[in-house]
Amino acid sequence: MKRWLNSFVHSQNLSLGIIVVVGVALLGVSSGGGFFDPISVTTFFTFLAVPILIGLAQMITLSVGQLNLAVGAIGGFASCFAGVIVADLGVPAWLGAIAAVLVGALAGLANGLLVVITRINGFIVTLATMTILLGLQYGLVGTRTISNSEWPSLAELGKASLLGIPVIFWIAVAVAIVLSFCFGHTVTGRRLLASGGNPVAAQLAGVSNDRSVVVAHAASGLLCGIAAFVTMASLSGVNQSVGGDWLLSSFAAPIIGGVSLTGGSVAVLGTVLAATIVRLVDSARAEFQLAPSWVNFVVGAVVLGTVALGRVREVRAARAATTPPPGGTSAGEPTEPAPLGGARILATARPGGADA
Amino acid sequence: MTAQNRDDAPRTATRRPGAVRRFLATPRFFLIVLIIALVVVIGALKPSFFNGPFVIAPLLTSISIFTVVGLSQLVVMSVGHMNLAIGPMAAFGAMFAGMSFQLFGLPLWAGVVVGLLAGAAVGALSGWIIARTGVNSFIVTLAMSFALIGLVPTVYSWLTTGSAFTVKPDGLDVIGRASFATLCLGNVCGTNAIPIIVVPTIVTMAILGYLFTRTRIGRELLMTGSNVQAAELSGIPTSRRIILVHTLSGVLAALAGFLLAASTGSFTPGIGGEFMLQSFVGPILGGTLLAGGYVSITGTLLGITLTLLIRKGLDLFGVGIETLNILLGVILLIALSADRFRLIRTRRTRAAAAVAPPDDTGGDPHPTGPGADKKEEVSA
Repeated sequence: MKRWLNSFVHSQNLSLGIIVVVGVALLGVSSGGGFFDPISVTTFFTFLAVPILIGLAQMITLSVGQLNLAVGAIGGFASCFAGVIVADLGVPAWLGAIAAVLVGALAGLANGLLVVITRINGFIVTLATMTILLGLQYGLVGTRTISNSEWPSLAELGKASLLGIPVIFWIAVAVAIVLSFCFGHTVTGRRLLASGGNPVAAQLAGVSNDRSVVVAHAASGLLCGIAAFVTMASLSGVNQSVGGDWLLSSFAAPIIGGVSLTGGSVAVLGTVLAATIVRLVDSARAEFQLAPSWVNFVVGAVVLGTVALGRVREVRAARAATTPPPGGTSAGEPTEPAPLGGARILATARPGGADA
Repeated sequence: MTAQNRDDAPRTATRRPGAVRRFLATPRFFLIVLIIALVVVIGALKPSFFNGPFVIAPLLTSISIFTVVGLSQLVVMSVGHMNLAIGPMAAFGAMFAGMSFQLFGLPLWAGVVVGLLAGAAVGALSGWIIARTGVNSFIVTLAMSFALIGLVPTVYSWLTTGSAFTVKPDGLDVIGRASFATLCLGNVCGTNAIPIIVVPTIVTMAILGYLFTRTRIGRELLMTGSNVQAAELSGIPTSRRIILVHTLSGVLAALAGFLLAASTGSFTPGIGGEFMLQSFVGPILGGTLLAGGYVSITGTLLGITLTLLIRKGLDLFGVGIETLNILLGVILLIALSADRFRLIRTRRTRAAAAVAPPDDTGGDPHPTGPGADKKEEVSA
């Protein structure tokens, strides 16, 4: 069973990888090689950093069975906050960057604490904090755009490149590697997955689910803060629209990447690959000069297809799990027709869901 | 006009605390008190608030539109689902209505029917995918909203030059902009403070109220919402009910989109852009449970009224729209926390009275993702 699941996870990463390679090849051919010239490679990777970071931010909350609607609002608010203190209060740029990351982490922590203390559904809590943060963001910057000439050192970093690939992309990759290590090899990471996979079992095993929820939200906010910092470095300025289009893509990457919505599994590599695919769709859109709205359409259709396909696989896995003498925790709910049943079985049977 | 389906319904019936006392404990009562207080405060500080045609009528217009938006969310919430695509669905339905006016020259009623059918079609598609695959409604409707957000502006840019359908059939302005002052019986005319647009909303509320309180299907929906397995075991075709509510949600979203277009006078891809938050705030403030099994239609109207009243008040005092957002978020959190604490208190008193633990539809021990509630309780 476990071997089968492992191969499933790997085959999903494999197919995502193949899609990336094929997509790159197609784009390269159709643009007559123009896609591979240094400038467009730099652009491609520069604007891939934020999708990866917010996809991972969402993935962390999904891993404990929560979700974070405030991804874009946290990022937007953090970048505007940093922009305002640098531009208006004369704070050094590096301090502004740290402030952006910290503000993100604090906002995430607030989300987590609100969920745990009030016991309100995480969906509503993050919906409410999203609204509040959007209001604060608009209150901070209003209609103006704070130009990146206010933080030349950060803008420099945004343009710098290492081995021909922008430094900010390496930042995103580093975050992904750290995250992968945390989920695979640290006690905290394993606890998050345990809480997400089966809260009751986790509690019985001595894991505090409340703590997992708070940690996950705080880490998610931290990543949004890093995305805010990357935005400051890579965009020509920050304004009230920063973060506005993050929400949908933050869900697209982990879902296409194979993260279960019910918690208990993560797929760092899958999320990164899926973010790359979405970025490729966007590049193709620019290449063929289609309207930007096409990207949404394609991504929406792909997400629908992915969840439907994933569900079919889960049902099959659940059936496979119930035909042989059921082992361990999945024994109780073989006839479960509800959406969660199959996923639960899968999630409990897959404590080693961390890959990449 | 509320409907519920809880295990403890018979128990409260035998104790009969009195209809009035029960009403005083509902969120609706607090909303009414708050709304009256706000009207008094705003009216006292800014007498211009009572200006019929310029303040009250626009306020009622937006209340009418957003109540339909809230109801669109309410019907899916009745089975414990959610619809994140209400805004794009509204844009989609309005697009078809506008298209049939501009390109095919259809009369008003036919265009409305086409628009509502279009909404029904996308709603049914979401519902079908959810019922067929069993994937969480959150993610299906999120993906649906992606797809529609992509599709709608593209179609507009294909078919129109200015990204808007502007042809108005006879009667569109009457629905969207006229007030009862234009309706006269003999010499007695209506007031110009009440727009005609309240009529479709009241009719919608009445139909939904009838559906949830008086019909078998309505009861089945609530039962599906409070416990899917139990509903399934009692012979309710839950998949069909799920498709039904999503279809209905699509229809209502399209209606809201059409009403908004009628009130602004043009059909644009921007319709529905601010529907998402309001669609949740209205029903939730009104006491509708996110987990399903309990809906409150008048509560939705009151919740929407409260938020729009606050918005109008802030407008009159010249406070920016960002403050409204901050306030809305805070109100939502406070309202729900208050609800939680009340629930915990009643549970304690009940436990003290040595009654079996109530079916707690609102509170899951481990706050998990959407739709992940309740089931925990059932299986644990």
